Amino acid sequence: MTLRQLNRLALRQSRASWRRLEWRALAAALLIAISLSTLLAVTGDRLEQSLGQQSAALLGGDLVLSSSRPLNPQRRQAATDAGLNSSAVIQLSSMLSGNEKFVLGSIKAISAPYPLRGTVITTPSQPSLPVPGTLWAEQSVLQRLGLAVGDSLSLGYQRFTISAELISSPDRGRGFGSFNPLVMINTADLAATKLISPGARVNYRLLLAGPVDSVDRFYRQLKPQLSNAERLLSLNSDDNMQGNLQQNLSRYLRLSAVMTLLLCALTILLSLRRYSHANLNRAALLLNMGLQPRQLVQLFSLQLLQLWSVCAVLGSLAAVLLNSLVNLLLTPLLNGALPPATSLSWLQGPLMGLILLITLGLPPILAMSRVSVMQLLRQSEPATVNMGRGLMGLALLSLLGWISYYLDSLTLALLLTTVLVGVSWLLGLLGQWLTRLLGQQLAPRLRLGRLLVLRIQQQRRWQRLQIPVMSLLLALMALLWLARGDLLNRWAEQLPATAANHFVINIQPWEKQLLAEFMHNQGVDSHLYPMVRARLVGKNGQPVDAAFNAEQQKDNSLNRELNLTWSTQLARDNQLLSGTWPPISNEQGHSVSVESGLAERLGLKLGDRLSFNAGSQPVEARIDSIRQVKWDSFQPNFFMIFAPGALDALPASYITAFYLPRENSRLVPALLEQFPTLTLIAIDQLLAQARQLIAHLIDASSLIMLLSLLAGTVLVITLMSQERGQRRYENALLQALGATANDCQRLDRLEFGLTGLVCGALAALLAELALWPIHQQALKIEMVIHPWSWLLLPLTGMVLFSLLGSLSRRYPTSLWEQLKARQGR
Amino acid sequence: MISPESEPVIQALGLSKQFDSHNGSLSLFSELGLAIHQGESVAIVGPSGSGKSTLLSLLAGLDNPSTGDVIIAGQSLTQLDDIARARLRSEHLSFIFQSFHLLPELSALENVILPLEIRGQQNAAAQACHWLDRVGLADRQHHYPTTLSGGEQQRVAIARAFATEPTLLFADEPTGNLDDQTGESIINQLFSLNQQRQTTLVLITHDNSLAARCDRTLELHNGQLQPRLNEERSQ
Repeated sequence: MTLRQLNRLALRQSRASWRRLEWRALAAALLIAISLSTLLAVTGDRLEQSLGQQSAALLGGDLVLSSSRPLNPQRRQAATDAGLNSSAVIQLSSMLSGNEKFVLGSIKAISAPYPLRGTVITTPSQPSLPVPGTLWAEQSVLQRLGLAVGDSLSLGYQRFTISAELISSPDRGRGFGSFNPLVMINTADLAATKLISPGARVNYRLLLAGPVDSVDRFYRQLKPQLSNAERLLSLNSDDNMQGNLQQNLSRYLRLSAVMTLLLCALTILLSLRRYSHANLNRAALLLNMGLQPRQLVQLFSLQLLQLWSVCAVLGSLAAVLLNSLVNLLLTPLLNGALPPATSLSWLQGPLMGLILLITLGLPPILAMSRVSVMQLLRQSEPATVNMGRGLMGLALLSLLGWISYYLDSLTLALLLTTVLVGVSWLLGLLGQWLTRLLGQQLAPRLRLGRLLVLRIQQQRRWQRLQIPVMSLLLALMALLWLARGDLLNRWAEQLPATAANHFVINIQPWEKQLLAEFMHNQGVDSHLYPMVRARLVGKNGQPVDAAFNAEQQKDNSLNRELNLTWSTQLARDNQLLSGTWPPISNEQGHSVSVESGLAERLGLKLGDRLSFNAGSQPVEARIDSIRQVKWDSFQPNFFMIFAPGALDALPASYITAFYLPRENSRLVPALLEQFPTLTLIAIDQLLAQARQLIAHLIDASSLIMLLSLLAGTVLVITLMSQERGQRRYENALLQALGATANDCQRLDRLEFGLTGLVCGALAALLAELALWPIHQQALKIEMVIHPWSWLLLPLTGMVLFSLLGSLSRRYPTSLWEQLKARQGR
Repeated sequence: MISPESEPVIQALGLSKQFDSHNGSLSLFSELGLAIHQGESVAIVGPSGSGKSTLLSLLAGLDNPSTGDVIIAGQSLTQLDDIARARLRSEHLSFIFQSFHLLPELSALENVILPLEIRGQQNAAAQACHWLDRVGLADRQHHYPTTLSGGEQQRVAIARAFATEPTLLFADEPTGNLDDQTGESIINQLFSLNQQRQTTLVLITHDNSLAARCDRTLELHNGQLQPRLNEERSQ
C-alpha cells in the first residue's frame, strides 16, 4: 500500500471517527492544549510583565541600577570602564496640572542616549529626547486633563509644551506608581520644576547595556558593592518588589496553566486508550488483509497527524483571538509597551501538541499493531490494550519537560506536579468517602436507595478521578471571583465613611505654616506630621548583617528607607503595648517608639539601641515603647516615633491627610496653584486605579481559567463515557427486572447530582483555605467565610455534573438490544 | 477434479493445542491430522466449545500449535516467522467472518478495493467492480455498510474474499448472523463462486445442512477430528 493510499484511508478513518465521543474528546483536549500553550507563549511576556517580570526591551537596558538616592558618579565611570553604555534616568511621582485640572503622574527625566534597549514611540515621531521646555505625555494624561499635543502643562514651578503623545516606552519603573500616567521630560528641565526636595520620592536609575560577557562581568563585580539604597536589576533577577497580590496572581496563572495541560494530557491518554480499544478489530482485519504492522502504525499515526494539523490551525486561530482579548484587557495597563510576539512563539503550541500526541499516542498505536488476527474469530470483547510502559514514561517525561520549561525550573515542576497529584489523590479519597456517606444517608429515604449505594460503590474508580478534577477546577474558578470581589469591595468597605481621602506629601518646612493657614481658611481639619526618611542600619552597635538573621534581613523594612517622625501625642489609631510614652530626647540620648509588627518581625525588644542613617547622617535611639498601629485607618502612620528635637539635624518634610467631601471641587485646584510642588494623593483615584489594575489582571487570568474549566469538562465527559457501556447494561437489566426508564434516569441523576454536590462543597472548602493567606498577607483583613460560595458551588457542581451526565448518557437502542448486545459479546 | 494424489493445499500434522488453566493444563485437541486438496470444500463441525475456531486459527497460522505443524502451499508454518506468515496469508488466504467485519467508513466498492490496495495491485478498482458484480451488488457499489442489509454486507465480504484470488478460503460461521433465507442465498453464492474459481474452502459451522453441501465434513468432538458421512451427498 502506498503512502498516498494509507493517507487516504487514514482520512476516511478520521472522518468516521468524528462520530465517536472519545475522538471528539481527544480533539477538544488537543485543541485546548495547543491554544493554551500558544497563548502562553505569545502573551506570556505581556502577562508576566504586568505581573512584575522583566525583559530587556521592557527594562530599557540589560542591567538597571536603581536607587532612592542620587547615584554615585563612580558607578557610571565603572560601567564605562567595563565597556558598557549607560543612560541616567530620574523618575518621581508628582502632580501634573493643566487646563485647571490635576492628576498624580509619574515624571521621567531622561538624557541621551535613551533608551539603550527597546524604543520610544511617539506621535508625531520625535528626536531621541524631548527638546528642553517640551514634554511627551501619555494619552491618559491628555485625557484626564483634557489636553492635546501643543497645549501646555505644569510640573512644579515649570511650564512645558506638550510636543508629542507618548505611545510606548521601555523602562517604566516598578511598583504601583509605575502605573501612574507618565510624562517624559529632558533632564535639563528637571531642576527648574523644583520637584526634587527632601522627602520627595525619587528614583535614580542608570540603564546599562553592552556585550553579554561585559554585562555579566559587571553584574558580578557590582553586586557585592551595592549600598543599602541601591538595587541592581538584571533580566534574570528574581528581585520582586511587587506586592503579594501580583505574586499570587502569577502563581495562580502558572498553577492553572499547568493544571490545564495535565488535564488535557490525561484526556488525550484516556481517549486514545478507548479509541485504540475500539479499533482493535479494525487493526486485526487490516493485518489479516496483509497490511504490515509497520504500515498499520503509519496508518494510525497519519490519522493522528491529520487530527493534529486541524487542531494546530484551529488552536492557533483560537490563540490569535484570545491574544487580542488579553491585549485588549492589558493594553490600558501597559500602555502598549510590549514587544510583538516572535513567529517562533506562535509555533510553540502546535509543537507542544505534536509532542503530546506522539508520546501519548504511540504506545496504543504500537499495541494495536501487535494485536492478534485471532481477535476477529472471537465474538468477545477485545482484551484491554497494553500500553507500552517505556513510551508512557517518555510521554510523562516530555510533559514534565514542558512544564519545567514553562515554569523555568525542574524542581518547581516536579514539586507542583507532585503536590497536584497528592492533593488530587486526597481529594479523590475524601470526595469518594463523602459521596458514599451521603448515598448511605439518603438510601433509606429513596426507593432506589440501595441501588444508588451500589452504583456509587461501582463507580468509585472513576469518581476518584472526577471529583478531584472538578473540585480543583471549581475551586480555582471560585478563588478568582472571590478574590476579585474581596479585593475590589471589602477593602473599600472597611474604611469609615469620613476616613481621610486625600494625602499631601512633600510639604517643605517653609511651606508648613502657609499650608496650615490655607487649610484652616478652607475649613479643613488637618494635622501636619513631620517625616524624615532614614534607613535602619544597625542594632545594639552591630550592623544589619550581624544583628539580624537571614530571614529578618529579607524584610522590606531593612531594604528601604523608613519614615520617621516625632510626636508627643499618641494618635487615636495607635495603642501602647509596652514601655512608656512619650519618647524622650535629652543629653543621654534619644528614645524611640516602634510599631509592634516591625518589632516582632525584626525581633526588637525594649531597651534595644537602633542605628539609623538619613543620607549620611547617623541617628541612634533606644526603644522605650512598642505600639500597635491600625494601618488601614488611612491616617499617616509611622514605624518609628521620636521625641521632638531628636531629628532636628535631619532634612524633614511634612505630610498631612484630610477628608474632603466629593462635592468640594475647589480646594484641590486652589491648593496646587498656591503650592505647585506638593504631591497630592487622592485615595479615591488611587483605589480606582488599583481596582482597574486588579480587575484587568483577573479578567485576563479568567481567560486562562476558562480554558482550564473547558479542559476539565472534556476530561469529566471522557471519564463518564469510560463506564458508559456498563451503566447502559445495568440500566437495561434493571428495566428488565421491573424498573421504569424514569427510575433509571433518576438513579443516574442522583449519582451525578451527589458527585457534583460533593465536588462543589470540596471546591468551596479549598477556595476558603486558599483565600486565607491572601486575606492575611495582601488585604490584611480577617479571614471571612463566603456563604454564597458554599451555596453556589455545590449547586453549580450538581448542575454541571447532571448536565455532563445527560450529555454522555444517551440510550439510543431498545432495552432488549442492550441486553442482547451484551450477551452476544 | 479433486485428485487425492496431488499435493494437498493445506496439511495439518500431529496438531495439538493445550491451554493453561486454574486446574492445570487443558488439552483442546491432540495429534490432529488433516489434508485438504486443491478445489476441495471441507466443513469442520462440532458443538460449541469443541475448539473449531481454535483449529481454524491454527490452520490459518494465526496462532501457534502446542505441537505439530501446518503446511500451506508446501511451506511449513512453524518454520516461518510472523512476518513471513503474514506474507503467506496475504498471498494465499482469505477469510469470511460471521460478523462481516466491513469498515463502516468505506463504501462497498472501497471495502473490496482495500485488500487489493494493500497487496499493491494495479487494477484494484476494476477488479473490485467485477467481484461486486459477481455477487450481484453492482448497483450497490457506492453504498456504505450501514445502508446495506446483513445479507448484502456478507456478500460484500465474499466479494472482498474472492477479489484477492486466494488459494484457500476460510469461512467462519458465514451465515451465523443471517436469517435462514438470506443465509441460504449467501451459501449458494459462496459455493458457486468456489466451484468456478476452484478455490479450496474450509468452512467452520455448526449448521449441518450447510456442512452437508461441502465435499467432506469433519467433526471435531472430544479432541478428535472424525470424518462424517455426508448423508445428502451419499443419498
